Parts: sequence; C-alpha cells; structure tokens
Amino acid sequence: MSKQVEQIDPRGPRFGASIINIFSIIIFFLALETSTVALAQSILAIVWVSFLWGTLFGNTKHPFGLLYKKVVRPRLSAPKELEDARPPRFAQLVGLFVTSIGFVLAALAVPYGIAIAAGALFAASTLQAYFGYCLGCQIYLGLRRVGVIRG
Amino acid sequence: MGENSPMPLEIRLIIIAALVLLVVGAGFYWRITTGRAKRVADGTQIDLARLGATKNGKPVTEFGKKITFLQFSTEMCSQCRQTAHLLGQFEAQNPDVLHIEFDLTHRLDVAKKFNILQTPTTLVLDSNGRVTSRIGGAAKTQTIQDEIGHFQI
Repeated sequence: MSKQVEQIDPRGPRFGASIINIFSIIIFFLALETSTVALAQSILAIVWVSFLWGTLFGNTKHPFGLLYKKVVRPRLSAPKELEDARPPRFAQLVGLFVTSIGFVLAALAVPYGIAIAAGALFAASTLQAYFGYCLGCQIYLGLRRVGVIRG
Repeated sequence: MGENSPMPLEIRLIIIAALVLLVVGAGFYWRITTGRAKRVADGTQIDLARLGATKNGKPVTEFGKKITFLQFSTEMCSQCRQTAHLLGQFEAQNPDVLHIEFDLTHRLDVAKKFNILQTPTTLVLDSNGRVTSRIGGAAKTQTIQDEIGHFQI
C-alpha cells in the first residue's frame, strides 16, 4: 500500500462509464433486429477499441478521459479526493473481455450474441456510473481466487 | 443470426424497458444491502501474529481494547480507501477502537481461509480477537456506529 501509484479524479472513469452506458443501450437496441445487427457490431467494435486503449494506456490517456479533463472537469469543483488509477483500469479490462465475448458469440452464430454482450455492458456501466459500483472491489478477488487472472 | 425473423419495435422496446428495470433494481438492491453487518456466531478466532497483520509498517499483535475492525482490501479496490478512511476516523476518536487493514492482493491463502470474495470485507472482533460480525462492501457509517454500540463503548 505504501508504493507510489498514479492517482486520478474518480469522477473521470464514471464519466467514461456513462458514455459507454449510452453506447451499450444503442448497440443493444440495434442488435435485436436482424437488419441492424451489422451496424450494432460496428459500434461495438468502436467500444472494443476504446476498452483496449483504456486497458493498455489507462483511463487518463483514454479519449473519454481526455474529454473529461478538457471539457467536463474545468466546470466542476476540485475532486474531494483522488483514487488509485488501477481499479478503473481493471474495469477497462473487464469491458474488453465482455465486448470480446460478444464478437466470439457472433462468430459462432449464437443468436443475439452481440445483444448479450451489449446488455452485460449496459448493466456494468449503469452500476458503475450511477450506483458507484466498483468492479475491482466486487469481482477482482473472486477472479484471482479461481485463477482466471493473476496478480 | 441471419435466419431470425424480424423483431417488432414494440417487442424490442419492452425488452429494453425490462433490461433497464432489472439493472436499476439490482443497483438499488446492491446499494441497500452492501456495507451492512452480519452476525458471526461460529466463534472464529483471529491470530494477528499468524496472519502477519501490520499497521504503519509494524507488526500488530494486540487487539483493540474493546473492538477491532480487521479490514481486508486489494490493490484493485477503490472503495477500500473510503472504508479505511472512515474506520481510521473512528479509531482516532476512540482509544478502545483499533483498525487494521490487510492487503489480500498477494495473500490469496488468507482470502480462501476467510472465504472473502469482495473487498472491502471487514471483520469485527471483540477484545479477545473473536469474530462477532462481518461487513461485506464499503461499510456504512451507521453500521460502524452500531457495531461500536454493541460493545457499549
């Protein structure tokens, strides 16, 4: 705990989650209908890239993170406290995984594969953006314990 | 999924409404239930020396005079800091209260032993180190006050 780790404004990742939230419900809607599922898949691909970016470079170097810093944060008061940059980056990794599952399901011709992934993304981003739910708190330890991820 | 028949707009809107209600309902349920204390009556005893608990870099071997909050955290847990801050405030105000934070990130054996799946998870211990309750999630201020109240401090 004494190690020096990057500290960020906790409202940044929540802002990013609210954007993902809007994207995911649009993708979900489009993915339910055969004629628009290809469009849904293209938008999901953009979301996938955004999660890859966040996972590799962290939330503050992410397009939504930069948008928050340049446009939103100047209009807000200073953050009450900063938070560790690692938990929201873990959430980006979870997002990347869920989005990838959607493409795998679509490739396997599973009906509504894209919709399933978009629905899961909608659930996670709603909880994170509006309920203060933290994936790093709730599922990180469980995934470590079953050996899905390493420390 | 090219073989699916077209889905009418009304059906799609109903599915979306159901999804939103389900998720928002789950969100409120989580907010209400998280951070509350559950009584533990199985007599689990904590051995601080064996656990390897530390405070400010030094080993801790003695329990709080009346109550100890043993908080389990990980590096990926942003809410753990809030809980540590809150418990630290109670500790600073009350000499009978001790707060210990234990990082599970590299101690999965401890997580398994106490069956911890989410962080923060806080064990409430009496003056002999016996677990009396367990708080899953970011502890609510009222929950901590109630726990301290049980020990009639």
